[in-house]
Amino acid sequence: MAQLLTHLLPGRSTDIQPAVLGAHDDPYDSGMWPWHREEILGDPAYWQNDPRVLVLGPKNAEDQTHVPFLVDGTALDAAEKIVITIDYSPFPWTMTFYCGRALPLVGFGVKYEVGGPLRASVALADGTWAMGAHFVSAIGGGCSAPALAHDQPDWQDGFGELRAKLWSETGRLRIWLRHPQDTGLAPGLPAHHLTDLLVEDLSGKEICRLELGEPVEENPVLTLLLPKELASDDVIIRARDNNGYIFEGRVETSA
Amino acid sequence: MTHRPFLDRRTVLKSGIACATVTMSMPAAAKTYGLSPTQVDAGVWLIEGAQDGFAPSNGGAICNIVLLETPEGAVVIDTGSTAKMGASIRAFADQALGGVAMTLITHNHPDHWFGNLAFQDGPILCLPACAAQCDRNAEGYSEALYHILGSWMSGTTPVIPNGTLEGGDINIGGRRLTLIPMSGHSDADLVIIDQATGILIAGDLLFLNRAATFPDADIPTWLAALDQLQGFDFAGVIPGHGAFHRSSAALVQTRNYLVATDARLRLAAELGLSPMEAMIAGPVPGTETLGANPEEYRRSVVQSWTGYEQEALPLAHPL
Repeated sequence: MAQLLTHLLPGRSTDIQPAVLGAHDDPYDSGMWPWHREEILGDPAYWQNDPRVLVLGPKNAEDQTHVPFLVDGTALDAAEKIVITIDYSPFPWTMTFYCGRALPLVGFGVKYEVGGPLRASVALADGTWAMGAHFVSAIGGGCSAPALAHDQPDWQDGFGELRAKLWSETGRLRIWLRHPQDTGLAPGLPAHHLTDLLVEDLSGKEICRLELGEPVEENPVLTLLLPKELASDDVIIRARDNNGYIFEGRVETSA
Repeated sequence: MTHRPFLDRRTVLKSGIACATVTMSMPAAAKTYGLSPTQVDAGVWLIEGAQDGFAPSNGGAICNIVLLETPEGAVVIDTGSTAKMGASIRAFADQALGGVAMTLITHNHPDHWFGNLAFQDGPILCLPACAAQCDRNAEGYSEALYHILGSWMSGTTPVIPNGTLEGGDINIGGRRLTLIPMSGHSDADLVIIDQATGILIAGDLLFLNRAATFPDADIPTWLAALDQLQGFDFAGVIPGHGAFHRSSAALVQTRNYLVATDARLRLAAELGLSPMEAMIAGPVPGTETLGANPEEYRRSVVQSWTGYEQEALPLAHPL
């Protein structure tokens, strides 16, 4: 069962449907996919495309620096982590979400350097992998462009600003962090991006965590889903970037 | 502008144009625009655009082009998406209306001015902020349009308007036009009233039976512009997209669409939806079948989402 909230808006959902892939097909005929499975996922012995891994994204990249995705693996049993890769990115590994006590759902935005598929690979407790993918048509260039923040002389003002909300009724957790997310490919701008984000309960025990790479959008927003018993109390967010900056705060739960 | 190269690179990526799905098979026949100008009132010629987004099927002929007849030649309002389209409009003006007296550009979106090449031997005028936006976005628009329209774009190079105007009345060969600077759909929206016929040429402040586009929209400002338009005494309306009509239909429809879409996106962010879910939920009920929807609504989500999200998410408490 997918855990989407689209039904909360009045009206009828439109016809965006996730791609249905044969177990071992690659309809995108990507030369990178076998290599990414080997290099990034550790060459798993058993994997298959699985319709229970919903990878929802737009058909076209309206903004090459903010392409939204939502990966929902809540229909799977015992998902341990979700690895996001982009086939034709200069930085194919995008993030790894260690689900922990959270549900296997993650929403995020990425930069697209070239049109192509984004893949979500879900590692299951039995050592097998379930995969989903979505193809985005894009002009590209998102990874090699400077962050919008650098257009402004005062971009450091507000750097690290953390906004977040936890909805107790649905278990939704949305986290927004002001960060330029420089990939290092834009001329004159060294790499400066988030590397880790941790969600803890008030006792300091980890709920879930993410490792984050260069393709994650500027001023990233993450969407997570907590079980209701964890969503009834505040949570703590801790994040850090590759330059050693630490970002943290307490997120209030509310209806 | 010390960061000029950055801005240029950046605008390529934020050009505000949906990339239509690119089909690999192209029709073999040579591409020509079958433009059919219609005279909607005395000396007011309308070339109506397709009610859709940029697509190989329409060659980018999606916005309304207006030509006003004067003894000195036509006043051309907007020039289309490609050099070839501009040339077709020019050919009509030369053959039927005694040439071109002046070209006016309503705003900076490329479906309205990428045909300028065919008019650069005369004045091409727009509001100052529009000229600045054309200059800033030309490269990005061009890259996006070549990507979407393919060979329709052959020979197209963006020609920035070669002069600016501030508004007020102008008289071209006895035809008086009132030019009114507004904004909301973009930074600078030029509205034109033809005094001879009382026809309001509203640019993209008004849409009829076509979803409004949001790439540079400021909704409160846009709604204020609609209030101002409503106060004018006009005999007919040519919206930026949609048919000529003699009623306030486009005013009412555009206002309703803006208000309802704004409310929908705000609600989505307040309920904790991710932008993909807001896209999947589709347009406001009742607007799904407007021209260019649901695609245009989905584009609007991406273009406008950040603002709603920031309002909906409170600052985290320091530890």
